[in-house]
Amino acid sequence: MATAPIAALDLRLRRKSLIGYSVGMAGYMLVIVALYPAFKNSSNLDKLTQSSEGVAALFGISGSITSPTGWISANAYANFFPLIVLLLTIGYGVAAFAGQERDGHLELILSLPYARARVAGEKIGVLVLQAVILSAVVLATLLPGPAFDLHLPLGHLTTATLGIVLLGVDFGLLAMALAASTGNRGSSLGITSAVAAASYLVATLAPLVHWAKPARYASLFYWSASNSQLEHGLGWAGLAILAGTGAILATITIRSFNHHDLRG
Amino acid sequence: MTTAIATHELTKRYGEARGVEALDLEVPAGEVFGFLGPNGAGKSTTIRTLLDFQHPTSGTAEVLGMDSVAQSVEIRERVGYLPGDVHLFDHMTGQAHLDWFERARGSHDPTLVASLVERFEISLDRRVEDLSKGNRQKVGLLLAFAHRPELLILDEPTSGLDPLVQAEFDQLLREAVAEGRTVLLSSHSLDEVQRVADRVAIIRDGRLVVTNTVEQLRADAPRIMSVRLSARTDPARFRVVDGVVAATGREDWIDLRLDGDLRPALRLALEIGLDDLTARHADLDELFLGYYQDDEAR
Repeated sequence: MATAPIAALDLRLRRKSLIGYSVGMAGYMLVIVALYPAFKNSSNLDKLTQSSEGVAALFGISGSITSPTGWISANAYANFFPLIVLLLTIGYGVAAFAGQERDGHLELILSLPYARARVAGEKIGVLVLQAVILSAVVLATLLPGPAFDLHLPLGHLTTATLGIVLLGVDFGLLAMALAASTGNRGSSLGITSAVAAASYLVATLAPLVHWAKPARYASLFYWSASNSQLEHGLGWAGLAILAGTGAILATITIRSFNHHDLRG
Repeated sequence: MTTAIATHELTKRYGEARGVEALDLEVPAGEVFGFLGPNGAGKSTTIRTLLDFQHPTSGTAEVLGMDSVAQSVEIRERVGYLPGDVHLFDHMTGQAHLDWFERARGSHDPTLVASLVERFEISLDRRVEDLSKGNRQKVGLLLAFAHRPELLILDEPTSGLDPLVQAEFDQLLREAVAEGRTVLLSSHSLDEVQRVADRVAIIRDGRLVVTNTVEQLRADAPRIMSVRLSARTDPARFRVVDGVVAATGREDWIDLRLDGDLRPALRLALEIGLDDLTARHADLDELFLGYYQDDEAR
């Protein structure tokens, strides 16, 4: 039997969207990199963000926006990049279970001699792989940065990218866990998107709003993207929380799918 | 007689809604077994439970001697399944489906695959979204048979197939049985089942109402007696007579369904005044409809 037939099938089904997301994100990042020399000495831009904590918080900016880490963080790593990874992973998380069940494809897959845990495991593998590929493309577009005076600390850049991968995987797994237990596409998508939005808001508003400060520790965005990760790296605590959350959600997904009755 | 499928008090409920209730089904190996019932009777629920798409609420099922839950992977290795409305991947061709199934299963029988493609004129090089329902069903049929499984579970398999293809399909089932394989053929159509089945089970409202050979069902079929009486008579007068299971009026005639001695009904007809009479055994269609109908409707 093939090594991972279900993963191979899902990758085949998702390849167009993965290529689309990757090409789009690469284009966006290259523009951001190429624009840096035009803004790196803009003191007005720095003044704008430094004078308004609210504006800075909403864009996930901490420190100087014209520094290399501030520029990439404000334009991608603190907002747009995680958002695109989440669109990819949450979309797949829902489609891989509830979407395929609604379309009758899951019945076809489960008629093959594979245990449900194996099916769920391969789908989780595809989720991780998609987040890794998209994030690796983004990371690769930053490598020519020095040619545009954009010098980023490679170690921190790599761990911050890992943080975004894990953030995407965690929310993808939340979508999977809901879809694998309910088989309901709409509610799985809605609940996961709402949790992701709340998590983002709590993490970005924390510097401004009193009540949000303690709550930020419950936000996966805080541990992965909204706490100056490009400047300071992901950190062991962030890595442990993101990986631990992923492990728990993966276990719940497999157990839920094992007990789920496929709808006819 | 070895058994290919055996369920013991198998029950599946969806909350308050009924699926199947205390089902004791036995499918002998090496036969085409017809599983009949109207839409919503519980046929698909039974099949989906046998294949572990759904877990039983209570009771157990054994397929090829293995437990349907604990050994579901081993069961599916040896079973070919064809749903009535097979959901293939729109953007993939039939060949891509076949290749993927072969990789997932480990192997297919290339001679059988080639023969089925030729016999059923299966379009493998076109994307599924460009195929008609019947042609998609043929690809599904190929996927179910390609690994030469010991047991074929076919849920309304001929929906969308034209009559010529249906005849070829019947022949394929006979060949499978001649090779010692077993077929569970689920259908709401008696016509489809009686062409090929050795034995049938009829399910209604989630419960088995009868299991027998087609031959024995024919032999046990009740008689239909129609009487034309000289005086207008309410058919209800016959419903209380011994041996009468149903009585309905039709213009000047009263049709009686008799499941025992016909003499009491005949005596009543003679008392009223008998002008004309016909009698025959019920054909399978009528028998089948009788099992489908609720008691109140009789």
